[in-house]
Amino acid sequence: MFNAIVSADTLRTTLDSVSVLVDECKIHLNEDGIEIRAVDPANVGMVDLSLSAEAFESYETDGGLIGVNLSRLEDIAGMAGSDQLVHLELDEETRKLHIQIDGLEYTLALIDPDSIRQEPDLPDLDLPANVVIEGRDIDRAVKAADMVSDHIALGVDDADELFYVDAEGDTDDVHFELDREDLIDLTPGNARSLFSLDYLKDMNKAIPKDAEVSMELGEEFPVKMHFDIAEGQGKVTFMLAPRIQSD
Amino acid sequence: MRLDEFIEDFERDEAAERRRLAKEKSYAITDHLEDVQRQLDETLQGDALFGSTAPEIFVGRTNYPRVSTGLLSPVDHEADATEFATSGAWYQQGLGIDDVLQRRTGLLNSRRSANVDVNDVWDGFVGVQREVAIADRPVDVEVGLDGKPDFDLDADSVRTPTGPSATAERADLAENPHVPRPVEKTLEDDEWQAEGAMNYLYQRGFDVYDINNILSAGALGRGENRRLVPTRWSITAVDDTVSKFIRGGLRNQASVDEVSVWTNEYVGNRYWVVLAPGQWEFEFVEMKAPESVWNPRPEGGYYMSSAYESYEGRTGYVEETAGAYYAARLGVLEHLRDRNRQAKCLVLREITNDYWAPVGVWQVREGIRHAFEGERGVAETFHGAIRQLSPHLPVTFDRLRRKSNLVAGVQTSLGDF
Repeated sequence: MFNAIVSADTLRTTLDSVSVLVDECKIHLNEDGIEIRAVDPANVGMVDLSLSAEAFESYETDGGLIGVNLSRLEDIAGMAGSDQLVHLELDEETRKLHIQIDGLEYTLALIDPDSIRQEPDLPDLDLPANVVIEGRDIDRAVKAADMVSDHIALGVDDADELFYVDAEGDTDDVHFELDREDLIDLTPGNARSLFSLDYLKDMNKAIPKDAEVSMELGEEFPVKMHFDIAEGQGKVTFMLAPRIQSD
Repeated sequence: MRLDEFIEDFERDEAAERRRLAKEKSYAITDHLEDVQRQLDETLQGDALFGSTAPEIFVGRTNYPRVSTGLLSPVDHEADATEFATSGAWYQQGLGIDDVLQRRTGLLNSRRSANVDVNDVWDGFVGVQREVAIADRPVDVEVGLDGKPDFDLDADSVRTPTGPSATAERADLAENPHVPRPVEKTLEDDEWQAEGAMNYLYQRGFDVYDINNILSAGALGRGENRRLVPTRWSITAVDDTVSKFIRGGLRNQASVDEVSVWTNEYVGNRYWVVLAPGQWEFEFVEMKAPESVWNPRPEGGYYMSSAYESYEGRTGYVEETAGAYYAARLGVLEHLRDRNRQAKCLVLREITNDYWAPVGVWQVREGIRHAFEGERGVAETFHGAIRQLSPHLPVTFDRLRRKSNLVAGVQTSLGDF
């Protein structure tokens, strides 16, 4: 059993965080909220998301697992104005999700969860550096890097206590640095890793500009980015594997 | 063999000698062109009816969808028409640039303007042309020409050059063409998507050269979609389609287990192929010598271009490297298919000054296909291999790193941590 009402805005933000990496996902329906974990087909980018029951206007379930086509569900959510409510109800018999938006009814066929790629284990990484940065600074860095290159280096200078971004293209370079003053928080440690901009651009799309993003970094190690959605009632972690030179 | 020993074996002096020879040979081409013109004038004297044997067809891309479409047939009646058609055999026979140009300038392109929409057109000039394209051996034809041929040599980076051309009034088959069973099957089934039909033919042992002719003649695909496909586009479409098919089959296979480097040199192009363990990634980097054809800015020294795809493949056309990317990728994927392994792959192409005329993208495909027949060097790591190769490349490591995604860093997966 699953029966919930959520604002279209919250639903869209949630779906966007996942759809930047995958087309289909499994949604765990737990008593205290929903959980989604997914990795892209190349096993390079991962998202781990939870949205608590408090983020919903009303939320009732006795547990369950459903598989959804994200772009289909996003299209439906797109039919609602941002302040409208979306009513979701699972029909256990037909394995369909009934969606109602102000008189509009949509019946979404679900996907067999077993046919969706297995959910990844979250790698347990102890990363030496941590910065807390505004979403809009990530956006600036990614946009500037994209003008010159296909990849971007993210690093922390332990001695000078600053976070920096480097992008090198055929001929042009971009460098961007933020010190303690510019950041919300900084735990220094030596870190530098190179990442594909294709992935980072997609993840950036899902990071709210006003979000406080906690970014964990290492030396040629994956980056983890944590931020809140739905006024703190939802938590998202992106993890991205680096491009490395040492192998 | 260890990579350092492998590199020692690679002699640059030889290349310098060949460069000198190539310069001399380019004069031979000028002489040859005069011979062909004389021969053409003799063959076509008086009446304009021209009996010949056509091994392949040509479809131009100018003015699409109203294109110039033609039958290619040797001017010299005594010649074996098969030898004039582009194929992998050219590499095996060791054809040089001059040999290719000689063959191609000896082929008359009897052409007409036609609309590409050819579903069910099996009569008239276009019909004859399509019959020639689907036949598995050269076909005797009789062509009525309108006026004298234009004498020209037309080359681009993808297709094989073409020689003289003349406007055709009509064409007739002088024999019943032999069409292989699988081709008939794809032809008759007008519900079959072109991609599927191409892959079917490839699996039935047809090389991309044959499939290219068939696709170009608009003989594959769903009925309503059947169109003449300009030769240049068709070559890339076939390489791309077949490569995607092979790549799909390797997606879940294990990876190669060591870093290997192969090299090959053909018609003034030197290739280095580096395969490394990991999930599929492919990159093709070209380094064009200042004097070589197609270097747009000779004053800037070696001109670099590159194109890359990740595990998921790519969607956009590769602007910088055009058809060469697809031809090289096919050569690599065929090798990986034979081993049933996936890999990270970097192909470096150095275009030396010896490459004084473009002969078409077939030479890239064959250069890569045959690179794997040679000795290979083994290295500890991908970047170790690149550092060892670097002194033998015409550009610095730093320039290469800036141009190449793989040299900048190979993509890891989360499972590696």
